[in-house]
Amino acid sequence: MKREIALTTVGLLLIAALHPALGGASAQSKKKKDAGAEVFNATAKVGTATAGGDARVSIEIDSYTPERDLQAMEQALKTGGSEAFLAALRRAPAAGRLRAGDKEFTIRWARARPAASGRVISLVTDSPVYFVGAGVPGAKSRTGFDVAVILLTMDPAGVGQGTLAAAAKVKPGGASGVEVEDYASEPVKLVSVFKVIS
Amino acid sequence: MHVRALSLSLLVAIPVTVGAAQSWKNTAPESFKANAQITNDVGGAASVVAIQIDKYTSDDAHGALVKALKDQGNDAFLQALHQAPAIGSVKIGARSVPVRWARERREGDGRRIAIVTDGALFFAGAGAVDAKPTTGFDVAVLEFTIDSVGLGKGTMAGAARVKAGGATGIEIEDYAGKRITLVSVTRTIS
Repeated sequence: MKREIALTTVGLLLIAALHPALGGASAQSKKKKDAGAEVFNATAKVGTATAGGDARVSIEIDSYTPERDLQAMEQALKTGGSEAFLAALRRAPAAGRLRAGDKEFTIRWARARPAASGRVISLVTDSPVYFVGAGVPGAKSRTGFDVAVILLTMDPAGVGQGTLAAAAKVKPGGASGVEVEDYASEPVKLVSVFKVIS
Repeated sequence: MHVRALSLSLLVAIPVTVGAAQSWKNTAPESFKANAQITNDVGGAASVVAIQIDKYTSDDAHGALVKALKDQGNDAFLQALHQAPAIGSVKIGARSVPVRWARERREGDGRRIAIVTDGALFFAGAGAVDAKPTTGFDVAVLEFTIDSVGLGKGTMAGAARVKAGGATGIEIEDYAGKRITLVSVTRTIS
């Protein structure tokens, strides 16, 4: 059974988070206290009317990606499409990791920007994390879904929510120039997100 | 992820027990609903499963399937299974798969029911980046108990390979490596 490729709300939200014209100044230049390492714990939830699942994940950010590296990746996407973006992403220094159980995925894009209610943090891993829906017989091909994209909205107290495109394709297009296509037909929500106080 | 071999008692326990079950007041056609759950140390998943059994597999048809498996292996078993008439269905979400084999056995004041479907229902864990190939896991296997009131519990291999071997002569290899639990199984009153 083939399912339609869906451009989820994750993608729509990320247009704002990833695009430089909409992003504003990076948070690391405005909020010094958030510039360093930080850890977020969250529960990833996905569900329909008849089925659902959840998993605990940990997001560890060692440092946010320097603006010049972000711009290099954005330029690669603009001029060379998904493949060029992926190549630039994988050349970028590791910014942190996403952990789920004993699995670890390297984050190479980490941007935080101020928002009305706190911060919006966008993260991209250099490999997919999980293909949600791939367990259905006849599931669509995984080819081209080479990254995972995380979007967190955090309040000043360190509590928030977010979305996870666990296997995604970042491509040029749309009004903002950036689209995120999610392998999953149902978006994964990140709930009970909180910054770990160490 | 590793594969775990399971034994399915009803595949090997045959006609004698069925005679008793067939005299029991509840039998096919009948339907059940269950909550399927699987968990590990990171999280879990759950889904509603709807089971319809129009009739149970006869002793002769059952014997032919077991003989095909024991004498000629999994391929012959699958061929015989696919040729058997559809006698019900198992549905998860939008996916419905025909039942080709179903047996019941009386246990205490209830019954034990086992089902083999025509195809896999769900490959639990197949979404992992390093998931193993799904090839060869061509059926789903459900086994549950149901008491005289119509309540029970059981397990499910959403994608499985039936093969000859082990102590009983028949083994069920589960793709997930871990059984899916069927909780809150209820017989539907129609």
